[in-house]
Amino acid sequence: MLSYIIRRLLQTIPILLAVALLIFVMFSVIPGTFASSMGDDGRGLLDAEVIERMNREFGLDDPVHIRFAKYVWQLVQFDLGHSFRSRQPVSQVIYERMWPSLQLSFAAMLFAIVVGVPLGFVAAMKPGSIIDMGSMVLAVSGLSLPKFWLGLLLMYLFALHLGWLPSFGYGDGGLRHLILPAVALGVSPLALLARTTRAAVLDIMNADFVRTARSKGMSEARVIRWHLTRNAMVIVLTTVGLQFGSVIGQAVVVEKLFAWPGLGSLLVDSVSLRDIPVVQGCILAIVLFFLVVNLLVDVLCAIIDPRIKYT
Amino acid sequence: MGLRVNLWLGGVLFVAVVIAGVFAPWLAHTDPVLDANLMNAELPPGEEFWFGTDAQGRDIYSRVLYGARISLTVGIVSQLINTVIGVALGVSAGYWGGWWDDFVNGLTNMMLAIPSLIFALAIMAILSPGITSLLIALGLTNWSYTCRLSRASTLSLKSQGYVQAAKILGYGDARIMFTQILPNILGPIIVIGTLGMGGAVLAEAALSFLGLGIRPPYPSWGSMLSDARDQITTAPWISIFPGLAIFITVLALNLLGDGLRDILDPQSKARTA
Amino acid sequence: MIRKLTLAAAMSLAAFAVAAQEPRQGGTLRFTAPYGSSFASLDVHSTNRIQDDIWSKALHRTLYNWDSAANEPVPELIEEVTVADDGVTYTMKLRQDAYFHHGRQMTADDVIFTFTRIMDGAQAYPPARHVRLIEGAVAVERGEAEEISGLRKIDDFTIEMVLVDRLDPGFSFYHGNTSIYPADMAEIPNFDTAPVGLGPYRFVEYIPGSRLVGERWEQFYKEGKPYTDRIEILIMGEAAARDVAFRNGEIDVSVLGPVQYVAYQNEAALADNLLEVAEIFTRNMGMNPNFEPFSDPRVRQAINHAINSDLIIERLVRNKAFRATSWLPIGSPAYDDDLEPYAFDQDRARELLAEAGYPDGFSFEWTATANESWGIAIVEAVLPMLAQVGIEVNIVPVEGAVLSEVVRAGDFQAYIWSNTSGPDPLQTLKCYHSSTPQSACNYVQYNNPEFDALLDAAGATADTDERIDLLKQANRMLYDDAVVWFFNYNKAVMAYQPWVHGIQPNATELAIQYYEDIWIDETSPAAN
Repeated sequence: MLSYIIRRLLQTIPILLAVALLIFVMFSVIPGTFASSMGDDGRGLLDAEVIERMNREFGLDDPVHIRFAKYVWQLVQFDLGHSFRSRQPVSQVIYERMWPSLQLSFAAMLFAIVVGVPLGFVAAMKPGSIIDMGSMVLAVSGLSLPKFWLGLLLMYLFALHLGWLPSFGYGDGGLRHLILPAVALGVSPLALLARTTRAAVLDIMNADFVRTARSKGMSEARVIRWHLTRNAMVIVLTTVGLQFGSVIGQAVVVEKLFAWPGLGSLLVDSVSLRDIPVVQGCILAIVLFFLVVNLLVDVLCAIIDPRIKYT
Repeated sequence: MGLRVNLWLGGVLFVAVVIAGVFAPWLAHTDPVLDANLMNAELPPGEEFWFGTDAQGRDIYSRVLYGARISLTVGIVSQLINTVIGVALGVSAGYWGGWWDDFVNGLTNMMLAIPSLIFALAIMAILSPGITSLLIALGLTNWSYTCRLSRASTLSLKSQGYVQAAKILGYGDARIMFTQILPNILGPIIVIGTLGMGGAVLAEAALSFLGLGIRPPYPSWGSMLSDARDQITTAPWISIFPGLAIFITVLALNLLGDGLRDILDPQSKARTA
Repeated sequence: MIRKLTLAAAMSLAAFAVAAQEPRQGGTLRFTAPYGSSFASLDVHSTNRIQDDIWSKALHRTLYNWDSAANEPVPELIEEVTVADDGVTYTMKLRQDAYFHHGRQMTADDVIFTFTRIMDGAQAYPPARHVRLIEGAVAVERGEAEEISGLRKIDDFTIEMVLVDRLDPGFSFYHGNTSIYPADMAEIPNFDTAPVGLGPYRFVEYIPGSRLVGERWEQFYKEGKPYTDRIEILIMGEAAARDVAFRNGEIDVSVLGPVQYVAYQNEAALADNLLEVAEIFTRNMGMNPNFEPFSDPRVRQAINHAINSDLIIERLVRNKAFRATSWLPIGSPAYDDDLEPYAFDQDRARELLAEAGYPDGFSFEWTATANESWGIAIVEAVLPMLAQVGIEVNIVPVEGAVLSEVVRAGDFQAYIWSNTSGPDPLQTLKCYHSSTPQSACNYVQYNNPEFDALLDAAGATADTDERIDLLKQANRMLYDDAVVWFFNYNKAVMAYQPWVHGIQPNATELAIQYYEDIWIDETSPAAN
């Protein structure tokens, strides 16, 4: 097991390197620079001399291959460089935003699991019934709304009209501020989880070993508890792992709308300000997060279902 | 049996959207771009303007119709690109194996690890907002599932008798992939593509919200919705209709995808049995 | 309904309070920073964004403040300024009651340290632009000198500042990014994450991307100020979300866009608490003279005639702007009252186009950002109007960073932007002097020897009235040559809660407030 985990961790290194290379290439051809973004407010307070000095200071006037060599050299030393705008190490900038991001994505996932999985189970128990149809249409509807739109509607309903929850921000980092963005973000993994759970449960119900168990005279409840839960859990967990990717992606939108101080809003801001080292750092952090979550999921699956082989 | 409802409802809705898009020039009342008359700004829905008018005084009904063209183009073309990339890489990797397989595998794992919306956001920033950029951004970032699936199916098909027979008969690799393997894995891939189209329509809206979507004069639903978000309370119709259009289209594609899955995806046949 | 009633009740209370009450001490001011979803950093010298000016006014102080009532910079950390006869040597007596948040008194050393730090060429601090006004600053920036020769300490509380030009230093040193730092900042632990300044509030907490919190600095040099015990500066870039938060009473002020401006005006509970200011920003379409048609002033005039600017301002900008006549805006001392804006006259436009050799019109590419007040939304409304005189427009959508780059590089046919047009009219009009490079602010490469002569004369004269008169003439010349499409001057609008008092109508940027003058009454949810 341990050697498997270590091997998986080692496998993330080439992926991270490839991502680093890819984003370096991409962002070396992006139009606009950090210096030009500082002049976009039309106040004309930035003159050519400062722009030139900035570009020199940030090494932006070096040829691409030199920049790349520097970048790789930094990466090998686990140095993500310095943010153009805050002039702090990128690792620190990311560290500051990490916790709110983790809070939000885990809360959204939790919401999706707690609602989505039971929904899928219930639907699968009576396939083709009104409950089945209703819950699936509901799930798909949630999937079909643009996130920022859904978020705005939630804001109007729960913050403005009902006055139950604060409409924006981080507050003291507590639950009250977390609920609305987490729900907005959790709706689409919820729908997918409900669907996957339903399909998984149906598949397993029809699988040979469940039929065998049934024919052996096990009670319905035991069949469900014993085989179904364990097997469906594995499928659901795998879906959760993969969905984390899209949750972190969608968080970009939700964080911007709710003024949530996570990596997503940092990323969007840094892209529009052309703070490239932070952009690169954010993407690498997000990729790493995704890989680690999926490793955890695989390990969990293996614990739940010992038949899974480590490969 | 009830699941067939998915297919039908999804199919009918989707066809309706396609018709709206294709026949937009005949169905629309005005030009979506040039017929902007500020004297008519923000009129609520009525006899002359069925869906009301927007801040620039343009007919929202006409814009929603033309928007269908943009949104469908974005959905269909970007998914076609994704599918072609995914299938080509997946089938060839599964078929040839070796270093190519390792390479494709690595590439897929990498693509899977970068959230596609973030990847698309980066591409949009690099290429500047616009429809071509959007097609590229959404077309290059969402092929990893297709690729994994094609590869896995190809691996299992490769050892089957008729593929082996074709090899013995001296068929070329390309011919085998096209005639023996592709037709057998197409079902699930169409399903992924259909669901992906819905995703692309939503991604366009998200990118518009982030200021990096399709920019006018093309009326895209995403940018219409995102531009009107300040007016939710003062002139709700400006956002309701494009929002509804997105909702219906994505819903249709999701239902259609689910329905198709039940028919086309052999692995889930058990469900309808 | 209940909400409205309570708001109305609160308002009448507040109105009563204004008449009868002394400013109230205590409570928390919940201010918003609306321009984007973060602050650049807590080192205000490293930024030039308004967003960072907003927090810097809580923690830091500059030599001058912007006096919104008088509409000019006034000495703040300086007690007394004297100008020598040469017009460039300033003797500044610093106030002796200003204390940094770590308890040390501010002295001349701190001022000299600050300006020298800003001129560190290796750091490329944006405010170097302002400090370059001091003689010898450029030498420090280039690494040729250690000290700014034009900045001398006379005694602990007196400095002598020699300028390179006859300009009022107040216009340079009221910008938040020239805030005075303690000379011993290197010894202050965590200065970069917990800055120490001279401002009315002491740093308490900063959650990047969310908020900055300060608490009253007891040794602040203004008696009895600041009024509130705490300040929270909340980062809220998304206007729709800000609207909900404001209506919900979660924030005390909100900067409004055109749509919300109308909505708030139409709601009794909100309409009375709107502060409107003619800001010194001119919205305009710049035209590149290297693009054949735009080299002819008649074409540029035709464009000014062909666009129904008043209608756009009324219907689309919802009167959240003032029609522009020429470049200098209404708040400017050299604003020309007698000038009539270009009339909407498409026949005249066609005539002018025909005279210029474009009877059938032409087509051009118009670079624009997504901004709602000076971006694609406006272009979309203009597009059919120009089509009516035969001019076809292709929109080139870009992001802000790209707009700023392509315009400076001359890589455009036309662009739409909002550019600062004040506060100092001479400095503003210098942008159109032929010696000003395109990369600075002569984006349309205006080159007119008569205009240059007027500006040179205005810069040389010491007589204020004469200078203003010359500047008016120059401004009129820009109008005649239709140097841009003169669209509008921004009207900034801030909504404030009924319990907020003392918001200042700052024409340089409404979102920049001197918080020590703001107080909140007991109806605020954060009154205690």
